[in-house]
Formats: sequence, C-alpha cells, structure tokens
Amino acid sequence: MYMTLLAEGSGQTYLSLVDINLNTIVFTLINTLIIFLLYRFLVHNKVMAIMEKRRQAINAEMDAAETAKTEAEQAKAEYAERIQKSKDEADRIVAEAVKKASDREAEIIAEANQNAARIKQQAQESIEQEKRRALNEVKDQISEVVVLAAAKVCEKEISQKDNAELIDSFLVSVGKED
Amino acid sequence: MDYMRLMAEEGGYSVNGPMQVFEYDLFGMKLAFSESIVVEWIVILILGIVFFILGRNLKVRPTSKRQVIAEMMVSTFSGMVSDSMGIRYKKYTPYISALFCFSMLSSLMGLFGLRSPTADVSVVGAWGIITFILVQRNKFKTGGVKGFFKGFIEPMPFMLPFNLIGEVANPLSQTLRHFGNILTGMVIGGLIYYALGTFAIGVPAILSLYFDLFSSLIQAYIFVTLTMSYVAMAECD
Repeated sequence: MYMTLLAEGSGQTYLSLVDINLNTIVFTLINTLIIFLLYRFLVHNKVMAIMEKRRQAINAEMDAAETAKTEAEQAKAEYAERIQKSKDEADRIVAEAVKKASDREAEIIAEANQNAARIKQQAQESIEQEKRRALNEVKDQISEVVVLAAAKVCEKEISQKDNAELIDSFLVSVGKED
Repeated sequence: MDYMRLMAEEGGYSVNGPMQVFEYDLFGMKLAFSESIVVEWIVILILGIVFFILGRNLKVRPTSKRQVIAEMMVSTFSGMVSDSMGIRYKKYTPYISALFCFSMLSSLMGLFGLRSPTADVSVVGAWGIITFILVQRNKFKTGGVKGFFKGFIEPMPFMLPFNLIGEVANPLSQTLRHFGNILTGMVIGGLIYYALGTFAIGVPAILSLYFDLFSSLIQAYIFVTLTMSYVAMAECD
C-alpha cells in the first residue's frame, strides 16, 4: 500500500489525500451558504411562520374560550341570583299568605268567640226571660190551684181579702225557696 | 469506490484525494476543480428538492405527514440549539441545521459509490473556518473590543500563546475529527475490497453500514455539537 501525491491513475488526475485546496474551500463556503439559504427560506422560516401562526391561533382560541367561560360564569351567577330572588319572593309571598291566613284565623276565631259569647248571652237572657215568664205563669196557675184547693178544703167561699193574704203568704214562701 | 477497486485490480492499493475534474487559471493561479465540489452540487440538488418538498404548502392544521416531518425536523434542531447553546443563540438554528444536513448527506454520498466530500480536508476545513469566524464574532459581539482582546490574556497574561493556539486548535481538531473519520471509513472500505478481491460480497456491505451510515450520522452530529459549544463558549462575561 502506498499513497500518492497527485497520482496519475487511469488517465485521471487526483489531488493529494490531505490537500488544502483553496478552490475547494471557497466553493464549499459558497455551497454551504447556498444550503444555509435553501434550508432557511424553504424550511426553517416557513415552518417557524406556520408554528407561530398556530401558536397565535391557539392563543386566540384559548382567549376566546376563557372569555366564553367568564361570560358563562357571569350568566350562571346572574341566573343563580335571579333564582334566589324568585325564591325569596316566593317565600315572602307564602309567608305573607300564611300571616294573612293566621290573622284571618285569629279574626275569625275572635269573631266566633264574640258571636258565641253574644249568642250565649242572648240565650241566657232568653232563658231568664223564659224563666221569669214560666215563674209568672206558675205563679198564676199556683194561685188558681191554691184558690181551687182552698175552696175545696174549706168548702167555703173565702173572702177576697183573705184570698189575697193567703196567696201572698204562699208566694213569699215560694219566693224564699227560689 | 469503484476507482479503488480498479486500483486494487492493478495489483496495489492506493488511496487518493479527490479526483480533479478540471483546472482553471485565475490571475495566473492554477486552481483545481475537484470531485468534492461536484458531489457537493449533487448534495445541494438533493437537499434543495427535499427542502422544497418539505416546506411546501404548510397549513396551520397539518394534514400531511410531510408537514409533520418538516415541523419535527425544525423543532428537533431548534431544541438541540437551545439545549446546547441557550435560547439566546436560537438564530444559529438555520446554520446548524443546514450544516448537519449538508455534512450528513455529503458523508452518505459514499453509499452511492461517490467520493464523500467530507473525506476531503478542504471541505470540512471550510466549515472549520466558519466555526472560527463565528467564535471570533461571538467574542466580539458579547465582549466588545476590550473583552475580545482581554479574553486572550486570561486567566494570566503569560497564557497568551496558549490561548492563541487554542483559538485555532478547536476548529482544527473539529475539522480533522470529521475528515479523519470519514476518510478512515473510506480507506477501510477500500482495504476490505482489496483484501477480499473477487469475494467482496456481503462483508463490505456490513462494514459500510457502520462506516458510511452510522459514522455519517454521528460525525455530522458531533461536528454541529462541537460548533455549537465552541460558539457558545466564546461568550465573554
């Protein structure tokens, strides 16, 4: 095995194995620049641009979602408030109704009591009246019975004067018993 | 590697530099136009087509595998640059990505029987020169004139010669590592062909799997990683 410097083989000229060739260096620099520009403008910038666009789109979507969420939460709170309000209103109405009803109840009871008392009083009054009337009737009847009985017992006509005395004394005794 | 086999058949094995396609005169200088540049043009053509296809018709909502691949590639390279250099160096991403693709595909050209441009020290040397320029530029940008010159006498003034050597040694070692690896692969491949003679079936393919495919990927990766770390390390405080 041997190494050649600028070997002449198969009619071709070869550069040496470790050859610092200015032409190759310059052209490699140019070629590297070309590859760099190709990569940068055909792939890198385009992909970066599209990624940035996607990032922005996602950001916008997330912002929108956040806004929507906030709005929904606001609406929810609002509805909850409204529901609470209606509940309070309903409670108030019910309480009012209950209060009214109980007021009315008391009123009715009071009225009824009053009526009852009035009726009772009337009844008592009428009872009294009846009693008195009955008493008077009884007085009359008794006086008649006594007169008849006395007439029968004595078999004689008692004078008007004696009659009256007799009846009075009897009535006094009856009244005492009362 | 056909020309190696031809040489092998002639009874000896020789390793040559790139073939000289033609020569031209530039202000009296004879400049050789080598095979490496021609193969580089082929690489540019392939990469141009691939890049064009990858970057075409991108949508905010990806509908094609092509776009997913393109995005994966760009974000992988961006992640690589951000990881090893830091997020403030993300503007280097296109260069690093392009260099990686260029280096990898150049080395892979060996698979198609072409001489890899990366087996030419001038080609890899050009990338080393770019690294050197980027390093000095970054020093100048971050440290200004004062920081730039102060960097050479740190930590002690007598370190000046070593620092100067170090400035050149970094890109040089990087260049020689890449070039040497690919060249070695080529030389070993040629030797195997020469040794096996007419029985050169199967075995060279397996070796080529390592020396061409694996080595190409690894060396491209190492080269860009070193470039990134040299540039990032050049930052003045």
